[in-house]
Amino acid sequence: MMKSKKRSLTLNFKKFNTIITNLKNSILRIIKQVKKEFQLLWTDKFNILLAIVIPPLIIIMLGFTMTDDSKQIESIPCMIVSYDSNTFINENDLVESKLDHYTIPYVNAVNKSSMLDLVRFYNATEEIYAMEQARNALISGTVKIILSLPVDFTEMLEWGLPGLIDCILDASSIQYIQQNLNAVYDSIKIFINDTNLNPQFRVQGFEEFSVPEGYSSSFNSSIVMALSFMVFGIAFVLSILVIVQEKPIARLLLTPVKRSEILISKYIAYVLVLLLQVTLLIISSLSMGLYLTGTIIDLFIALFIIGFSGLALGVFISSQSKTKTQANQLFLAFYLIIILLSGIFIPIENMPSYLQFFAYILPLSHGDPLIRGIITKGQSILGLHFFWLCSISLILLIVSFLIFKRRKYEV
Amino acid sequence: MVNVKDLNVKFGEKHIVHDVNFIVNQGEIIGLFGISGAGKTTIIRVLTCQIEKKHWTGNVKVTDLSPAKKTNHSTILSNIGYVPQLELLNLYFELSPMANVEVFTSTYGKNKKEAIETAKSLFKILDIPEDTWNKRVKHMSGGEKKRLSMAIGLIHRPHVLFLDEPTTGVDASKRYDILTYLKKLNQKLHTTMFIITHDLEAALICDKAAILRDGRLLEFDTPQKLISSLPSEGLVARFSIENLNEKLIENIKKFTPIKQILRVGNEVIEVLMDNFEENLLKLIQYMIDNKIKIISMSKDVANFRRYFQIRVQKEDEKEKGLREAKVIKK
Repeated sequence: MMKSKKRSLTLNFKKFNTIITNLKNSILRIIKQVKKEFQLLWTDKFNILLAIVIPPLIIIMLGFTMTDDSKQIESIPCMIVSYDSNTFINENDLVESKLDHYTIPYVNAVNKSSMLDLVRFYNATEEIYAMEQARNALISGTVKIILSLPVDFTEMLEWGLPGLIDCILDASSIQYIQQNLNAVYDSIKIFINDTNLNPQFRVQGFEEFSVPEGYSSSFNSSIVMALSFMVFGIAFVLSILVIVQEKPIARLLLTPVKRSEILISKYIAYVLVLLLQVTLLIISSLSMGLYLTGTIIDLFIALFIIGFSGLALGVFISSQSKTKTQANQLFLAFYLIIILLSGIFIPIENMPSYLQFFAYILPLSHGDPLIRGIITKGQSILGLHFFWLCSISLILLIVSFLIFKRRKYEV
Repeated sequence: MVNVKDLNVKFGEKHIVHDVNFIVNQGEIIGLFGISGAGKTTIIRVLTCQIEKKHWTGNVKVTDLSPAKKTNHSTILSNIGYVPQLELLNLYFELSPMANVEVFTSTYGKNKKEAIETAKSLFKILDIPEDTWNKRVKHMSGGEKKRLSMAIGLIHRPHVLFLDEPTTGVDASKRYDILTYLKKLNQKLHTTMFIITHDLEAALICDKAAILRDGRLLEFDTPQKLISSLPSEGLVARFSIENLNEKLIENIKKFTPIKQILRVGNEVIEVLMDNFEENLLKLIQYMIDNKIKIISMSKDVANFRRYFQIRVQKEDEKEKGLREAKVIKK
């Protein structure tokens, strides 16, 4: 009995030992495999860069760009158009004034606000075309807000009623609306502190930027943003593997064909695809109810040049990537940075100056305002944004040619 | 057709090719044999204008033109064809064979109709099934891709065709098919062919074999001549010996007429010696006297594989001797 118990104990102990040995071996194997994985990862330094450096870098950039600190936000250019005049009737006497006495305190409040930059003050009682001139300034982008003081502004405040300030905002870009309203509210706060009176403001739509009846405003506001994103992103992603993926290029170079001919033919093919893509985008956008205030030709050229900058960036990355994986990783890193700094989500003016410098180099930072200007404000394509897009595309094109020319190919 | 005189290739301090000389006539098939790092691919890269002149010296002519001049590159590249080791470097897998033909012939400025006619005749010689001509290359079998790759290399009817490891990755029986196809193409088109290979069986179709070692050309002659240069014109005695070891081999080597012993198996050696017929019986007697147990014995003629082994081994021994002499001197 004792012997059999002892034997079973010995057997159990042996079994236990085997399990422990197997487990130990298994752990050792896993450790070796993990080491191998790290060794493999280490062979491609860009993997490390993408996994460790890029994510915190993006978070840091987000931290810098998405700040709520008003000191970091540049003051918003505005104009005041005052109609506050007319006959002012007091209980005791009748006073006639050209400019009522609460206009100036409000102008002072705007001047005091760090969030607003008063570009010009119009006394509409003397200048007939004041509002027209202010609107032109809004369309051209000189100012972002028109603050209009109505005829009875002073009267309403005097009688203890809320004096209404009409705000005409640059509503072409969603991300600016809240910022503009905050700035207006800041000026009102200062006015309240100074005068102990309580005015209110109401936001007026600006007819040039809004869509007429029969057009979907939600579709129009989203399509403006989507168009530049789409055309840039698709051209970028399409061209990212154009060189790195084509294995027989090395063999083609053992024929009389020249490297420049290979690259030119790639550009031609992708430009044709881009032209078709832009045409289809415009047709589908218009047929779905895009309200275009500018010309179709301007929109076509603008979309094409945005797409071409994406294509040039894609070819540039492809020309200097050694493997498909590296090209894809670079695409992801570039695209995240381009989107983040494009100004579509966070106004570029709110970014620190060194980030603004980078943001203004990137193509989408110019693509979005270009499309927005043409669609919502009827602006012409000619301007800084268009010329920068042309320049960046040309620079990328030349650089990718030079890199491709020096790229080592062996069969 | 191809003339190489005093070719030296250097990359920085690294001397890759040393004083290589050879002449190749039109229609010849040349096999470049050697282990990895022997310099085969480097020589071909010079001939195919892939290495800049600053890295090499010597007088090299391909189709009577020197790759040293950049202005000659376009003409040389028009006159030569290249079949890389991997088909994916030579073929667009997503396109059909005919579309591939169009891509490559357009680079030589050939017209489409002429190219298709050439392609059809090449496809027929290489037995590429007609039903695959317009399907995607990726759906073709490995052998078909290999043959298509050869056809693409010849599509512009080059004077010289370079083939990099044409039999690599092909199973044993298909290897001979590939070699047969190459011979067939050579006979029909009279194209000069350079075959870079580790596969010593390729010597079967070669008019001349070049043996390279450490960037030096050891031999350049017909395989038959090379084999017959062996003692007793390449006759070998194959012995299967019990408990064969290095000590036993050293013991056998003491039999003076022996020129070379090759260990070709665990218990098998091949012996080359002067006056083969006369000395064979004496060798057997010597082995019996020295208590070396012979399990079996046969007589054969060396093939190119054996020649290559002997030649390289001889070079190794020479180098070893030189190294030892240097050590003694020191």
